[in-house]
Amino acid sequence: MSANFWTSSHHKQLLEQDKIDVVHPIDKERGLTLEEFKLIKIHMTNHIWKLAQQVKVRQRVIATAVTYFRRVYTRKSLTEYDPRFVAPTCLYLASKAEESTVQARLLVFYIKKMCSDEKYRCEIKDILEMEMKLLEALDYYLVVFHPYRPLLQLLHDAGMPDLTHISWGLVNDTYKMDFILIHPPFIIALACIYIASVLKDKDTTIWFEELRVDMNVVKNIAIEILDFYDFYRVEAVKGMSESSKGISEEKVNAALYKVTPKP
Amino acid sequence: MEKYDKLEKVGEGTYGKVYKAQDKVTGQLVALKKTRLEMDEEGIPPTTLREISLLQMLSQSIYVVRLLGVEHVEKNGKRLLYLVFEYLDTDLKKYVDSYKKGPNSRPLPSRLIQSFLYQLCKGVAHCHSHGVLHRDLKPQNLLVDKDKGILKVADLGLGRAFTVPLKSYTHEIVTLWYRAPEVLLGSTHYSVGVDIWSVGCIFAEMVRRQPLFAGDSELQQLLHIFRFLGTPTEAKWPGVSSLRDWHDYPQWKPQSLSQALPNLDSEGVDLLSKMLEYCPSNRISAKEALDHPYFNGLDKSQF
Repeated sequence: MSANFWTSSHHKQLLEQDKIDVVHPIDKERGLTLEEFKLIKIHMTNHIWKLAQQVKVRQRVIATAVTYFRRVYTRKSLTEYDPRFVAPTCLYLASKAEESTVQARLLVFYIKKMCSDEKYRCEIKDILEMEMKLLEALDYYLVVFHPYRPLLQLLHDAGMPDLTHISWGLVNDTYKMDFILIHPPFIIALACIYIASVLKDKDTTIWFEELRVDMNVVKNIAIEILDFYDFYRVEAVKGMSESSKGISEEKVNAALYKVTPKP
Repeated sequence: MEKYDKLEKVGEGTYGKVYKAQDKVTGQLVALKKTRLEMDEEGIPPTTLREISLLQMLSQSIYVVRLLGVEHVEKNGKRLLYLVFEYLDTDLKKYVDSYKKGPNSRPLPSRLIQSFLYQLCKGVAHCHSHGVLHRDLKPQNLLVDKDKGILKVADLGLGRAFTVPLKSYTHEIVTLWYRAPEVLLGSTHYSVGVDIWSVGCIFAEMVRRQPLFAGDSELQQLLHIFRFLGTPTEAKWPGVSSLRDWHDYPQWKPQSLSQALPNLDSEGVDLLSKMLEYCPSNRISAKEALDHPYFNGLDKSQF
């Protein structure tokens, strides 16, 4: 028996792309562009990822944290909700929701160690205060479904366990975009399997046909993922670990500067 | 919190007090569950968080107590979280007690037992279909609206999504009386069956007006079960003797359920025996239970 995505709050909260690609009016007033908005989200996804590696949590927790992060900014402005505090707090919240609590002081410690930039530094009380604000922003909906489980089930069904590594990596990278807010997890998993099978030269046409899913949706996601790699010049699958060429620190800092409250 | 008038304290849970209160504007009665947040330590307790998120997900069902909202309050430097639930006037324990004591002492009407059990199975099936185990089903956690004959599952604080089974579940969970034998025997991979076992115990308790297995230690609890249902064997329950806490127990023969529960009709006895099946994987599921002939006489259109 598995959890039921279709009746979950996650399913009910799925959004259209054009509802997500909206710069909050407050951020817009400060001159933030859609490109910069996306850039900040990618950068902060990487930040959550790196922080998570320090405190050693499971993939699922990271994925949930990034989902919270992206969901928050479909509703709130970067100006009012400093992403440099929101990101670690999302990880904190996700670790609790996924039953592998990471202590706030540990996060504070590793952020200090990781980031030379003062603006990323926070204290325990910042995280705890932000926790409450985020819960309200998320409307207390914390259950998130991810593509990892369906991915393994589908690969098993397709008899292609050898694609696990590469498609798992692709799923990881989908969190640099907003797919998790838009599509059911198994569709995302299928798109990753699709790319993996093309990369590894496996013929999956028949298997996909038998699934009776809308292949247009699957292929469109696959194309978007590939476009993403192309645009940010990230090497597929290895992309998540280090900051990629298309995402320069200057660009990120310039974008973040716009939404940083001025004293 | 100015929205509500606190009327009285109605209970005290593990995480704080529960008040009966009234919405000042609409007059709606609510239950306020107060949780103190120890903000200098680790923010909102994970159990509270989990309960809120599960309830948000599950409270679309009318068989699960409805979470109406969450209120965050700061008072004298203390931070409090109030979970606002719909209010039901009693719970199944008090309700069954009301049939036990006093001049009105009499069995619960069998139609009512049927209806309550059906609603309980609905609620449990709903939790299970969302990947959530309740793990602490007991009469105190089942809220009842006396006049309308409604029963709802409450207190999901120990519930958890079972999609993340990397760690084995903690052991100190279900109140002893309703605890499934696989948990008592130290099984680390228990699942939906633990809730069904509890449902079976609650079913029998409604019929008997007293608990079926009232053990006061884990060993005693097991012995109560074995004495009644017979000591399990490898033939009946494959793998039982390799469970962590298995020992050689006295060999009891099973008693007759129908003799022990003379008030229960044969369909009821059959359903109960399927809920109290030793082998967890053979135990009836909540969804299957809903289709059991025991409920044939029930007007299901009302649910």
